[in-house]
Amino acid sequence: MFIARPQPPASSLSVAPRSHAGARSCQTGGLVDDGPLLRIEGLTKRYPGATALDDLTVELPRGRIGLVGANGAGKTTTFRLLLGLTHPTDGSVEVCGIDVARDPVGVRSRLGYMPEHDCLPLDQTAADVVSTFGELSGLPARAARQRASDILDLVGLDEARFRPIGGFSTGMRQRTKLAQALVGDPELVLLDEPTAGLDPLGREDMLALVARLGSFGISVLMATHLLDDVQRVCDYVVMIDSGRLVVSGATESLLERTGVVTVDVGPGGNALVTALQQHAMPAVAADGVVEVTIDGDEQLDLVRDVIAELELPLYRLSTRLTSLDEVFLRRAEHTT
Amino acid sequence: MSAVEVRGGAVYDRGYRPYEGRRGRRGAATFALYKASIRRALGIRRSWRQKVAPFLLLGIVTIPAIVNVGIGYVTRNRSLLDRIQIITYRDYVGVSSALLLFVALVAPDVVCPDRRQHVLPLMFARPLTGVDYVAAKVAAIASIVFAFSFLPQVVLFVGNMLVSDSALNYFTGHLDVLWKVPLSVALLALYYAVVGVAVSSLTDRRIVAGATVIGLFLITSIAAGVLVGNNFRFEGGSPAAVINVLALPLYLRDLVFLGHIDPASPLNGVTNGGLLAIATYVAVLLAGMGVLLRRYRWVER
Amino acid sequence: MPDPAFAEEATVEVTDVSVWFGAKVALSELSCSFGPGVTGLLGPNGAGKTTLMRAITGLLGVNQGSVRIEGRDPRRDRGVHSRMSLVPEDEAVSAALTARQFVRYIADLRRITDRNAPDDALRTVGMLDAADRRVDTFSKGMRQRTKVAAALVTNPQVMVLDEPLNGADPLQRLRLIELFKQLGAQGRTVIVSSHILNEVERLAERVIVLVHGRLAAAGGHHAIRDAMNDRPRHVLIRSDDARRLAGALITLESVAGVTFDTARDGLVIQTVQARELATALPRLARDTSSRLIEVRALDDSLESLFRELVR
Repeated sequence: MFIARPQPPASSLSVAPRSHAGARSCQTGGLVDDGPLLRIEGLTKRYPGATALDDLTVELPRGRIGLVGANGAGKTTTFRLLLGLTHPTDGSVEVCGIDVARDPVGVRSRLGYMPEHDCLPLDQTAADVVSTFGELSGLPARAARQRASDILDLVGLDEARFRPIGGFSTGMRQRTKLAQALVGDPELVLLDEPTAGLDPLGREDMLALVARLGSFGISVLMATHLLDDVQRVCDYVVMIDSGRLVVSGATESLLERTGVVTVDVGPGGNALVTALQQHAMPAVAADGVVEVTIDGDEQLDLVRDVIAELELPLYRLSTRLTSLDEVFLRRAEHTT
Repeated sequence: MSAVEVRGGAVYDRGYRPYEGRRGRRGAATFALYKASIRRALGIRRSWRQKVAPFLLLGIVTIPAIVNVGIGYVTRNRSLLDRIQIITYRDYVGVSSALLLFVALVAPDVVCPDRRQHVLPLMFARPLTGVDYVAAKVAAIASIVFAFSFLPQVVLFVGNMLVSDSALNYFTGHLDVLWKVPLSVALLALYYAVVGVAVSSLTDRRIVAGATVIGLFLITSIAAGVLVGNNFRFEGGSPAAVINVLALPLYLRDLVFLGHIDPASPLNGVTNGGLLAIATYVAVLLAGMGVLLRRYRWVER
Repeated sequence: MPDPAFAEEATVEVTDVSVWFGAKVALSELSCSFGPGVTGLLGPNGAGKTTLMRAITGLLGVNQGSVRIEGRDPRRDRGVHSRMSLVPEDEAVSAALTARQFVRYIADLRRITDRNAPDDALRTVGMLDAADRRVDTFSKGMRQRTKVAAALVTNPQVMVLDEPLNGADPLQRLRLIELFKQLGAQGRTVIVSSHILNEVERLAERVIVLVHGRLAAAGGHHAIRDAMNDRPRHVLIRSDDARRLAGALITLESVAGVTFDTARDGLVIQTVQARELATALPRLARDTSSRLIEVRALDDSLESLFRELVR
């Protein structure tokens, strides 16, 4: 006797494991390509009057990648170049080992795309739309219908899938958009501001879904203005400013430990500062918390003991990590 | 109590299943788009309201066939001379206002909503190029127009067969109809599909597109009429007759059925009238395809 | 203690307001007020935030109750509008104008005589360099900033902004947040509606939360959290000897539950007495020689508060 149990919908997000995606390598006509997901070399795109991308060179691994841009249309242009919908002025792009200029159709059959704008036919039902787009991705009709049903389960659209999209809320439309991007079983999905227009709970649900994609072996390239989203979900970050590469690297490596420990003991902060200074630890009170610089993890025990002795309540203790905001600011200010 | 011992239990987590099956490329995608466009035009998988207009028009277009058969049936016992035929096969491969309305209705419906609702980026993020998109849309409309023009012909033929003295004799005596009708209907269907879809691709509003299609046909037909004059039956026609975008395929129809231009048509007496008609036909098709490819090239929007 | 739904020195007073559209009740007997500084207006989609903003700026009449700006009715008293600005979320800016032309146009509409006002406003939002470019060449973020400049040119005392950071890139977001804080510090009443809660945390001292057209919570978000003391708190503790520490912690009365959270690599302690736990923790850790690597309340953020309120 066995029970087939559908996976429960993802709820709380903050547990998104940041390990690299499950081992699904790019399939290239039978040969398995273990190379990087994206290889971009010298990519330049100039329009009359503006340069969208300027000599961009970067190699991106499989996994969940955040694409953050400033000052320019870099992200839209990047997506269009990846989909082979635009030719670069210079340089090349390889997706899963396939040169986009040489075989744009081949690249597109491995991609899924979730645009930012409204793009769904409003008079059809979600089930019909996702199934049709499955067929358009090359799946036989029956398989398309089956997959559409599975994917709609995955994104959490239940009975609503049999209603016309015109009546959907923003959250439901975003889910449907994501579903059509996934129905063709892509190796890489391009997400353009997937949380736009969603309220905080909808945003959490969407980010949880995106995080799960990594565990299915689907790579994600998510373009967003919200560094918070990137920090929560993405293993890798690419930052572009005015068409030039500013930063690219694994999220964890970008968030450095600063050696400063933030301690919140409520109103007794000043007493703590004094006591710590007596133990020769530089400490300062700021914004209602105490910041103490430590030299090695053993000093954490000293901090703990001082607090215990003063019988102060310990509400928070954390090593300050730079946030992506700060990384971005620092690097962006260098280039301006 | 069961005699079978149940051993073991397991829980399966459905999660996400990658797709391991067959996967087509451009051909499959194009065919899928073709089917989806037909479904859209005929209102299949949508509400009943969407189905009313196309099928109502189909009914209207089939009426002459039914009437003809009915009269044939009623007069079947009279002598051949007395039998009344409302409509011949050649006449029936014609342009009725019903057909015109039909094209003006379905052609916009398969391309305008895609543009208006910004669905195109989703389409082109698939193994589908601009050429494929155009081919699928034109083929869809051509197929529908063909079917809707051909069905009444079938009704007419079968009906005539059945009310004639001998069905078999009728059949063998009218073998040429069996290729002339499909060929001329196909020429007609392709033509209207290209023109209808090309005009519709210029706008994202269905009503504007439909009105423009109708307007184009009516205006060119009136202009041609003015240029040709009213006496073309006696004094000969004029090359200006080919300006009539609406009626152009009819000259080709006559070439198929008669082997030459119909003396009663406005092209009568024009030297190389047949060639002129064919050349204009091909030019219109090429112009239409040119417009479409430009609208859906997608690279460098 | 004064009701946190009402601000001290209130400039915008909403009293018992109800608004309905046919059968749909958008606001239901809502009473609150806004004062100088930045107040965040939060709520799920459809909770009534946009309706409230339109009622405050007089674009919409209320079916019941009253709205007063500095004591005056925005529907009746046209004079009030010179003191107020609304930056709606989706209003299109006239595309054929340059940024400067647009801001000047608004200034003229509002009869601002100061010639420098448009440029000052554009400088404040960081759009002075792009002032002579056409708005239809702008990115979404630049359009937003132009709209904010147009709102600033009248030097309003009350500013109502609906998702003003929408479409802005990370740098622009940070700059706009600083700008709004500055405007609040100048004594203006700034009401900002946004879904990005961690930014609202930085930006607003005070929040008003609407759910289904009703007031769900008001005040500083830490204080709101404290007010929800019937709901258990969750505290994450990372230690080098988690199990030993867990054993000690479970003896505390204030601890309602202990969970090992592998994803977060630590203990999650459930408690309804946060203070007692916090006081006992350092002592117990010292006594068991467990190093405390991280201690953090998981539901102290505005996000988790929101989740609790909206559930």
